[in-house]
Amino acid sequence: MDYIFDNERPIYIQLVEKLRIEIVSEKLKQGERLPSVRELALIARVNPNTMQKALVELENEGLVYTERTNGKFVTTNKELIDKVKKELAEEKIINFLNDMENIGITHNDAIRYLQELGGNK
Amino acid sequence: MLGKLLKYDLKWVYKVVTVFYILAVFFSLLGRFFNNIENSVVFSAITQFTFGFAIAMMASSLINCLMRLWARFIKNLYKDESYLTHTIPVEKKTIFLSKVLAAAISVFTTAVVIIVCLFICYYSKENLQALKGMLEIAATTYDTTVVNLLLLMAFVFFLEVMFMILIGYVGIILGHKSNKNKMTKTILIGFALYMLTQFVTLGVVFIFGLFNQSVMNLVNTTDIVNMEAIKLVMTGGIGLYTIYIAFYYWLGKKAFQKGVNVE
Amino acid sequence: MELLECKHLCKEFDSKKILKDINLIIPKGKIIGLLGKNGAGKSTFIKLINDLLIPTSGEILINGKKPGIDSKEIIAYLPERTYLDKEMTIKQSIIYFEEFYSNFNSEKAKKLLKDLNLDINTKISKMSKGMQEKLQLILVMSRTAELYILDEPLGGVDPATRDYILDTILSNFSDGASVIISTHLISDIERILDEVIFMNNGEIALTSSADELRNSEKSSIDDIFRRYFKC
Repeated sequence: MDYIFDNERPIYIQLVEKLRIEIVSEKLKQGERLPSVRELALIARVNPNTMQKALVELENEGLVYTERTNGKFVTTNKELIDKVKKELAEEKIINFLNDMENIGITHNDAIRYLQELGGNK
Repeated sequence: MLGKLLKYDLKWVYKVVTVFYILAVFFSLLGRFFNNIENSVVFSAITQFTFGFAIAMMASSLINCLMRLWARFIKNLYKDESYLTHTIPVEKKTIFLSKVLAAAISVFTTAVVIIVCLFICYYSKENLQALKGMLEIAATTYDTTVVNLLLLMAFVFFLEVMFMILIGYVGIILGHKSNKNKMTKTILIGFALYMLTQFVTLGVVFIFGLFNQSVMNLVNTTDIVNMEAIKLVMTGGIGLYTIYIAFYYWLGKKAFQKGVNVE
Repeated sequence: MELLECKHLCKEFDSKKILKDINLIIPKGKIIGLLGKNGAGKSTFIKLINDLLIPTSGEILINGKKPGIDSKEIIAYLPERTYLDKEMTIKQSIIYFEEFYSNFNSEKAKKLLKDLNLDINTKISKMSKGMQEKLQLILVMSRTAELYILDEPLGGVDPATRDYILDTILSNFSDGASVIISTHLISDIERILDEVIFMNNGEIALTSSADELRNSEKSSIDDIFRRYFKC
């Protein structure tokens, strides 16, 4: 995971986004124990308080849970992960379609291009 | 904490002063060695030359001791290093006491080294006899022995030097309170305090003289020196120096404890 | 009780007002950026907290007490200049810290120095300016303090050194402690800040949570700062 931040938005929100992607892409496996807040903060080169805030946010979403003595773990709730993954995908696709629209390509054409290019890959 | 501070203060002063101690002892021994070889004109000249060096090194020991004590005070408490000295958890009065004790110890050892070197250079039965003869009169009037008299003189010398160092410390503390021309102010204040104290001394002697004719005669007549009066002045001197040292210690401590304005 | 509190703090030099009526509270467990242009009064403020200057008026309370041996015990301060006796070796400077600070962890310092491939018997005067600064940072960060005060730790360093310094700060400050970092190079450190304090002309111009400020202004702290002071 690269940790280049955009200084114009709150750092913790960017951390949440990055960690969310790590989880849905299973770079962080289901049920995997996360490093300590301090270690994670160091990897990302951010303030431990900021990392803590990001993890609380992920916990609220249910992607991370805390076992009282053992630390924090990635959820084992496959359904939830799939749901978040779908949401992320939808968001990206809508952005993509909007971008296409901006350069004058209709949704149908865009989908056709996608199929052609995707097929070639 | 005092012990630790003192260790670092002394280390810094002795780092250079010790070199002069060694040189002073070395030239004293060398001079003595040449002196004992042969009584030719050449050797006599070399001997005198070497003794000259020895004396110069003794003087350097003392001057360097003073200079390094003052330099340490400024460097350690007002220059870059002060950022560390003033941020270690130690009371300001302890820091000041350490500097004063460092002065007392290093001046004492310097005095000892000088006495030892003089002894090496000039000790012989004849010289000692001559010295004794010279001091005998004084010693009898003081009602004491020659050795005690010498020790007394060394003690007065020690007090005099300590007094000067403390004046310097107080000058530095007061001079560095302001924000500009710290060094000029330090020297001016130090000099002014020194002069002022000397005037006070004269005043005290004068007032004392009003009640004691023999002391007054010391000041305003050219009569033969009255030993009784000198004795009084000597003891009075020790008393006065002790009071001055105590006063400047108190003043320095008080001013220093109010805090510093480092550069 | 607040970790650090300033009430109507003023400092004058030769009747020139360097700090004007500073009122401020520094809470526990935060990384705070003290941001301002050169000459804004940052260093003066920091020196007052560290008992290196006497306030003209007002007061500073650290855990409820004026600067003194109790505050010096819990504050780890990194000044802008080299404050070690340059005649000492690295090892001697470690011993010095060990002797005077009860919360100094010499094992940690030695380990951090090892990572720099520094021979512990090197004389400080023989080291480059950059290395001397790193040594000081290591000594300061090896203390288990409650408040770290770092005055311009990133002044004039290259990007690699900047990363090293930030990593050393982040990985070594003790749990629950606060860190005050003064700097005029905001973009380099803003990602690690919880709170920001803008200083200008000896006054506190603004205090805010870093994220709230970014959210409300929709731009980086660096940009906000530039806009604020039009430089």
